[in-house]
Amino acid sequence: MATATKERIYSVLAEFGSAGELLHAAEKVRDAGYKKFDCHSPFPIHGMDRAMGLKRSKVGYIAGICGLCGGAFAMWLQGWTSTVDYPLVISGKPLFSWQAYIIVTFGLTILGAALGAVIGMLVLNRLPQWFHGNFYSESFKRFSDDAFFMSIEADDPKFDVDRVSEFLKSLGGRTVEVVKGA
Amino acid sequence: MELKDKEYWRSLEQLAGTDEFRHYLEREFPKGTVELAGNSWSRRSFLTTMGASLALAGLTSCRRPVEKIVPYVTRPEEIDPGVPNYYATTMPLGLSAYGVIVTTHEGRPTFIQGNPLHPSSKGAVSPIVQASLLDLYDPDRSRSVLHHGKETAWDDFVAWWKEQYDRYKQSGGEGLAVLSESFNSPTLSRLKRRFHETFPKAQWVAWEPVSDENIYKGIELATGRVLQPVYDFSRAQVILALDCDFLGTESEAIANTVGFTEARRVRSRSDAMNRLYVVEPSMTVTGMMADHRVAVDRGRVGSLLLALARVVTARGVPIEFARGVNRPNTELASDFVQVLSGDLGMHRGECLVVAGRAQPPAVHAMACAMNAALGNVGRAVTYHDIASLVLSSDTDLAALAANVEKNAVQTLIIAGGNPVFSAPRDMSLSTLLEAVNDTVHLSSHVDETSLSCSWHLPRAHYLESWGDAQSWNGANSVVQPVITPLMEGRGDVELYALLAGGEEVSAHDAVRETAQPLLGRAGFESKWRAGLHDGIMPGSGPAAVVPGLSMGELDLADADGLILSFDCSKHFDGRFANNGWLQELPDPVTKLAWGNAALISPKLAEEYDLENEDMVELDIDGRTLEIPAWISPGQADSSISVALGYGRAAAGRVGNGVGFNAYKLRTSDNMWFATGVKLRKLGPKYSLACTQDHGSMEGRPIVRENTLAGYKEKAEFYPREIEHPPPVSLWDEHKYDKGYQWGMAIDLNACTGCNACVVACQAENNIPIVGKEQVCNGREMHWMRIDRYYAGDIHDPRVLVQPMNCQHCEMAPCEQVCPVAATSHDPEGLNVMVYNRCIGTRYCSNNCPYKVRRFNFFNYMNELPELIKMAQNPEVTVRFRGVMEKCTYCIQRISLAKIKAKNEGRTVTDGEIRTACQAACPAQAIVFGNIGDANSRVSQLRQNDRRYRVLEELNTRPRTIYLAKLRNPNPALVKDTDAKAEGGHG
Amino acid sequence: MSVAETTEHAPGYESPLITGEQTFGSISRKIGEITERKTTMTWLLAFGAAGSLALVLLGSIGYLFYEGTGIWGLNVPVAWGWAIVNFVFWVGIGHAGTLISAVLFLFRQRWRTSINRFAESMTLFAVICALVFPGIHVGRVWLVYWIFPLPNQMGMWPNFRSPLLWDVFAVSIYFTCSLMFWYVGLIPDLATLRDRAVTKVRKFVLGLFSFGWRGGNRQWKNYELAYLILAGISTPLVLSVHSVVSTDFATSIIPGWHTTIFPPYFVAGAIFSGFAMVMTLAVISRKLLGLQDFITLNHLEKMNKIMLVTGMMVGYAYSCEFFIAWYSGSIYESFAFINRAFGPYAWAYWIMVTCNVLVPQVFWIKRWRRSIAVMFVASILINVGMWFERFVIVVSLARDFLPSSWDYYKPTFWDVSTLVGSFGLFFTLFLLFARFVPMIAMSEVKGVLPEADPHHGGKP
Repeated sequence: MATATKERIYSVLAEFGSAGELLHAAEKVRDAGYKKFDCHSPFPIHGMDRAMGLKRSKVGYIAGICGLCGGAFAMWLQGWTSTVDYPLVISGKPLFSWQAYIIVTFGLTILGAALGAVIGMLVLNRLPQWFHGNFYSESFKRFSDDAFFMSIEADDPKFDVDRVSEFLKSLGGRTVEVVKGA
Repeated sequence: MELKDKEYWRSLEQLAGTDEFRHYLEREFPKGTVELAGNSWSRRSFLTTMGASLALAGLTSCRRPVEKIVPYVTRPEEIDPGVPNYYATTMPLGLSAYGVIVTTHEGRPTFIQGNPLHPSSKGAVSPIVQASLLDLYDPDRSRSVLHHGKETAWDDFVAWWKEQYDRYKQSGGEGLAVLSESFNSPTLSRLKRRFHETFPKAQWVAWEPVSDENIYKGIELATGRVLQPVYDFSRAQVILALDCDFLGTESEAIANTVGFTEARRVRSRSDAMNRLYVVEPSMTVTGMMADHRVAVDRGRVGSLLLALARVVTARGVPIEFARGVNRPNTELASDFVQVLSGDLGMHRGECLVVAGRAQPPAVHAMACAMNAALGNVGRAVTYHDIASLVLSSDTDLAALAANVEKNAVQTLIIAGGNPVFSAPRDMSLSTLLEAVNDTVHLSSHVDETSLSCSWHLPRAHYLESWGDAQSWNGANSVVQPVITPLMEGRGDVELYALLAGGEEVSAHDAVRETAQPLLGRAGFESKWRAGLHDGIMPGSGPAAVVPGLSMGELDLADADGLILSFDCSKHFDGRFANNGWLQELPDPVTKLAWGNAALISPKLAEEYDLENEDMVELDIDGRTLEIPAWISPGQADSSISVALGYGRAAAGRVGNGVGFNAYKLRTSDNMWFATGVKLRKLGPKYSLACTQDHGSMEGRPIVRENTLAGYKEKAEFYPREIEHPPPVSLWDEHKYDKGYQWGMAIDLNACTGCNACVVACQAENNIPIVGKEQVCNGREMHWMRIDRYYAGDIHDPRVLVQPMNCQHCEMAPCEQVCPVAATSHDPEGLNVMVYNRCIGTRYCSNNCPYKVRRFNFFNYMNELPELIKMAQNPEVTVRFRGVMEKCTYCIQRISLAKIKAKNEGRTVTDGEIRTACQAACPAQAIVFGNIGDANSRVSQLRQNDRRYRVLEELNTRPRTIYLAKLRNPNPALVKDTDAKAEGGHG
Repeated sequence: MSVAETTEHAPGYESPLITGEQTFGSISRKIGEITERKTTMTWLLAFGAAGSLALVLLGSIGYLFYEGTGIWGLNVPVAWGWAIVNFVFWVGIGHAGTLISAVLFLFRQRWRTSINRFAESMTLFAVICALVFPGIHVGRVWLVYWIFPLPNQMGMWPNFRSPLLWDVFAVSIYFTCSLMFWYVGLIPDLATLRDRAVTKVRKFVLGLFSFGWRGGNRQWKNYELAYLILAGISTPLVLSVHSVVSTDFATSIIPGWHTTIFPPYFVAGAIFSGFAMVMTLAVISRKLLGLQDFITLNHLEKMNKIMLVTGMMVGYAYSCEFFIAWYSGSIYESFAFINRAFGPYAWAYWIMVTCNVLVPQVFWIKRWRRSIAVMFVASILINVGMWFERFVIVVSLARDFLPSSWDYYKPTFWDVSTLVGSFGLFFTLFLLFARFVPMIAMSEVKGVLPEADPHHGGKP
C-alpha cells in the first residue's frame, strides 16, 4: 500500500528481557486481539504457539501427500517399464517382481516426504523473503543473537502507532521502537 | 622382465657382430622398441604402433588368386558379399597333411575346420591346424627378398640363381647342397628327382628338429624296411602308450583321437570301453586320459618294455627277443607289468603297443615285435612303405655339417626350416654357415637362420600357395591357395622348380603336371575340379605291407641319474612361436601360457627345495640353460621336462623372448633326452602366466567320474552330488516351451583336453589376445576354457578335465544383478549379452558361479594390427573397452541356420548347427542342439544316466549338461583311492 | 515440541551440556568468530595438503578414464576391488551424521546439539566421496547415466531387480535428504552470521543463503515441524541405506556374500565407523578451534560408549557368520569362511578383527573412555578396521565355487592413489566447511541453555 510520504511505518518493535517475558507478552497481545504480530527469538520458545494462539502447522500434511505420491510413482514406473514398455526375461523371474521393487518405492516415498516437508516449510514461511520491514531496525539484528522481540505490524487492522507503543511498554518492553523505512 | 630380456639378448649375441645382423636388428626392431621391451606394456604398445603402419599393406593385399580355385559349395566363384565361401585345401606339417575346409569372407580366410573326407583330420582340427590361420595374417612375415640384408626383388634372386645353375650344371652340382624339410608332396619329390638328375653330385638333406625318425629307424631295426606304422585306435581294446602322447603332440593326433574316443564312447551301461595304459616321463594329454599310468623317465621306458615282453612271452605269447644289450628292469612297476601283460595276452589281435617319437629306435623295434606277436598287425596297426618319401635324418644333417666344415659346400640352399635355431648345438650351424660362400634361406619370417644367410626368400603360407600332399594314411590331396600371397612370398614348389629347372614355373601348372599320371588324360579337368572341390584326389597312399621280423642289435640299457627330456610344444618345433593364439593357449596340463618351464615332480621339488617360478640352471656337460621351474604332479621323479620351440630371438614381435630355448641343451647324441643333468637353484623368481592357480576340486562335485565297473552296477558318480533340498523357486518360473530351445551336452568321457575347442572359439568369436602381463593378472579372454583338476595321490595323480563355457542358465544369476539389463534371456533360452548396452559394472561376472564371463579391461581390439583384423569373423561384433563378454553358443551360427531354414520354409534340423568348439572337437565330446525336440541328439544325451549339471544345487538350471567321466581300470590294479574318486590334491 | 520441553526429564541433565558459563551472546560470538576471523596459517597448510591429495584423486580418475579399469588390480574372478571397498567404506562413514541428527533427536538426546552440525557435514562429505566410486568404477564411464530411468532412443529402462540400482537410488536419496536436513538446520545460524556481518559481501552472501530468516515464532512453528518430520523419515532412511548397500553382496550367490545377516550387520558397522570418524574430527577441531566448552569430554565419552556397543554388534556379526557357515552345512559357505580366516587373505581378516572387535574394548575403562589420546588412536584404528572389513568381504570373490577360476587380487598404484585421493577430497570439503560455516548449531545450543526455558528463574 504505497502512500505519498516517502517514509512509511512497518511495525512497532519491542524488546523483552527473556524468553519468559516474551511469552507472557505474547499472551497479552493475543488477548488484546491483535492478529498481525510475531515474536522473534534466537531459538524456538516452548509454549509460544499456545501463547500466540497459533494453529498447528500444515507442513505434516504436505509432507505426507508428497511421500505417498513419490511411492506410487516409483511402483508405477517399475511395474510399467518392466511389464508393458520393455518386458525382458531376467533370470527367469516374473516380469512384475514387486518384491524387488520395494526398495526403490521406499526410497522415493522418503524423498517425496522430505521434499514436501522442506518446500512446504519454506512456502508456508514465505521463504526466501529477502526483504522485510523489520530489517530497517538496527536493534532487530540482535534477535538472532540473544534478544527477544515482539513486533506488531502496521497492516494489522487494530494497528495505531501510539496505542501499540504504549501497549507494548505496558507489557514490559525494555525498548519500544517504531520501525520506519523507505 | 630383466631375466627375459637377458635371455633374449644372449640368444641374439650368438648372431651379433656382423654388419648384416645390426642391419637386420634395426629393420626388425624400430626405434624405441628395445626400451619398450622392458616395460610391462611392451607387447600391447608394440601392436599399437604396428597397427597403423600396416593398415595399407593389409588392405591392398586382400585379393583373390588368379588361378581357378573351386569353392566347396556349389556357388559360382564370384564373391557374394556377406555370404562366406568354403574351400578345401591341405595343411602340410612334416610328413603329415591335414585336409581342411577354409571359410572365406570377401576373399579373406577367416576360419579353418577339418575336412570330413580327409583321413588325417576327419572333420576335426588340432590347435595348431586351427591357429595356422593367424600365421597367414602375421604382420611380422618377411615382405621381400633380402640379399645381405638389403631388399631386392625375386627377379634378382632368379637372375643370380640362373648363373649358379649354369655353373653347377657344368660341375654336376659339385659343392651345391640343399637342406630341406621332410615332405610327402609328390610334386616336390618329382622336382627333387629332377634336381638330382641335373646335379648328380649335389647333396640334398632333409631334416626337422621334431621328426618321427626314431620310429622309422626302430622299425627298420625290426623289419629291415623303412615303414610307417599307421594306427587305428578304434580297433584296439587295450592300448599301451610308451612315452607316446598320441592324443596330443605325436603325429596324426587328430585321427588318433577320433579313433580312440570311438572305442571309448559309452552310450549306455551295456557299452564296452577300451583301456589305456600309459608309461611316460611327464603328464601329457594322453596321460590324463589313462586308466593306468606309470611315471617313468624317458631312459627307463625301454627296459620296462623289455621286462613286459619277457612276462608276455612267459605267458605264452612268444615275442622275438632283441639281441644285444638288454637288461630288463623288473623292479620297475612290476605289478603294473604283470597285470598289463595279462591284459595284452587276453586281447590278442585287438590291442596296441605304441611308442613315442622320443623313444630310441630299439624301443620301437620292441613295440613292433610285440604288435606282431600279439597279432595286431593288419588290424589296429598297419605298416606302409615310405621309403620313397623324403624323411628327416639326423645323420644326414651331421654329414652335411661335416661337408661344410671341410669347405666342400659353396652354395647351401635352406628350403624352409630354421636350423640355426633348432639344430643340435654340437654342430654350431650359425658359425658353419659363415664358411659357405652363398647361403639361401626360404622362410616365412626373417628368423634366426635368415639372419646368418646371404639370401632370404619370403615363403608363402600354405593358404597362399599351390602344392600337394600324399599322406601315408592314404590321402592324396591338393594344397590350393585361397588368397594370393599377402606378402611377396612364394611356395616351396616354385622354389624347387626353379632350383631343378633353372627357370620360373607356375606352381599351379607344376602341381597339375604331377596329377596328370595320377588322374589320367581322360576327363582330367573334371577329376581335377572334383579333387579340388572335395579336397581329396583319387588314388591312395603307399600300400600296407606285412613285414617279416628280423630283429637287429638293440640297446635297451637303463639310463640313470637325473634325466632331462625335450618335449614337442604347442608351437611344434617353434615354427609357430609368433602365433598369438597358440602363445596365449594354456598348456593342456600345466595351464601355462606365454612360455615354457622346467617341469619337475613334487618330490624333486622337495629334494632341491624348489617352488614354482624359481629360476634353476640346467647343466648338461657344460651347456647350461636358465629356466624357471614348475611343479607338475605326475612327472617322473628322476625326470625334468622342457618344451622345445620357446626362447625365439627372431620369431617376430609376439614370439621373441617368450620362454626359454631348450635347443641350447640339445646335441646330436641326446636329441630327445639327456642323462646326468645337473640341476641348480638360482636366486630369483620368474613370473609365469598360469591360467589355473588351483588344481584340486576341494571335494566338490564339479568333474564327476566313476569306474566303468562301478557305473555298470549303479549310475552313481564321485564326488557325490551335494545333498540339497529340492530346488524350488519362490516365484512362478518362466516357461521355455515354445520354439527352439538351445542346449549343449559335453561328454567328459570323450574330452581329452586337447584345447582345439579353445582356439576354435577364439578364431570364430574374434576373441582378443591379451598378452602375458594380462594373463598374469588373470584377465585371459577365452570364452571356452578347459579346467584341469588333479585327484588322488599327488605323486601319482588322476587328472580330470572339463571344458567350461557359459552354461546359459535358465535362471541366470548374472542377469538379475545387471543394473542396465545388458544381459537377459531370449525366447530360445540363450543367455544373451548385449554389448552395446553394457556399461561394465562387472557385477554379472562376480555373480557368475562358473566365472565364465570375460571383461575388456583395456581396448584390446584397437591395438590389433590391421592385418590381423583381416582374420576376424565379420559375423561377430568386436567388443570395446569396458564391455563384458562371454560364450554365446555361437549365436551367429544359430541365426545363419535359422535364416537358411526359414528361406527354405522348414525348421532347423538336428545337427545343422555346429558351434565352433563342437566343429573343432576331434573327440566329438560336444553336442549342441534343440532340447525342445525330444529326438535331437542333445535331448537324448540329457536323458543319459551319466548326465549332471555343474553346481546343480544352486538351482541356476544350466542349459549345458555334462556326462560324467568313466575310467576303465583293470580290477587287478584298482587301488581304493581310485575306486572312490574324491577331491584329492592340488 | 522443542528440545526445551524435556529439560526436566532429559538424561544427563545433572552434568551441564556445555561448560564455561555460556550465555546466548557468548555462544554466537564464540562460534561465529571462527568463520569471521582471518584465515589462519594452520588452516592454509591443512587446506593445501588436503587439496593436493584431492588433486591426486583427480589425476587418478583422469588416467582411469583414459586407459580403462585395467589400471586397477581387478581380474576375473575378483572383478570388484578397492573402488567398491571405498564406496562401502565412505557410505558407512556417512551414517553417523544423520543418525546423530535424526535418531538422537527423536530420542531427545540433547547432548547431540554440540556435535550434530559437523557430524551432518561429515556425512555429506563422506557420501560425496562414496558417490565418486560407483561413477568411476564402471567400464564405460561415459554411459554411466544409463543406470537412471531416463527415456532414451533405445527405449530401454534400467533393471530394477539389480541391487546396484537400488544402491544408486538409496544413496542419492540419502544424500539429498541429508543435504536438506543439514541446510534447514543451518538457516537460523546463517541468519545469526548475517546479522553479525560487517562487510558488504558477507552481508549479501549470508543474507542470500539465510533466505531472510526472521526467527519469528510463526516461522519457528513450521520450521520445527519440518525438522521433526525430516528427523522422523531420515531415521528409517539411515537404517535402510546401508542395508541396501549390503544387498549388493547379500542378494548375490557368492559364498561369503550370500548372507542374510548383512543388513543389520552393515548398519551397525556403519554407525560404528561413522562415530569413529566423527570422533577423529571432533578431537582435532575442538583442539584447533578451541571448542572444548561446546564439545565436552561428556560428549566424547557418550560417543565412545556408542562405539563400544556398535563394535560389539559387529563382533557378534563376525562370529554369527561363522556359526551359520557351519550350521548351514553348505560346503561352499563353510569353505568361504575358513578360507577367510586362514586363506590367502587371512592377514586382512585378522587386522579387521583386531581393530573392530578388540580395540573398542578399551572403552570399558572410564579413564580411557575419557582420555583424548586413547579415543583418538582408537577411532583411527576402528576406521582402518572398518575399511578392511569391506575389503575382506569384497575379496571373498577370489575363491568361489569352481577352484579352477580361483585367483589372487593385488591392488596397483592406482588403487592406492584413488583411495588416498578420496581422503583428500573429504578433508578439503571438511576444511572449507570449518572455515565458512558455523561448526556448531548455535540456535540449538542456545535452546538447551537453562535460560532458554521460559519458566527459567522460577517465573510462574
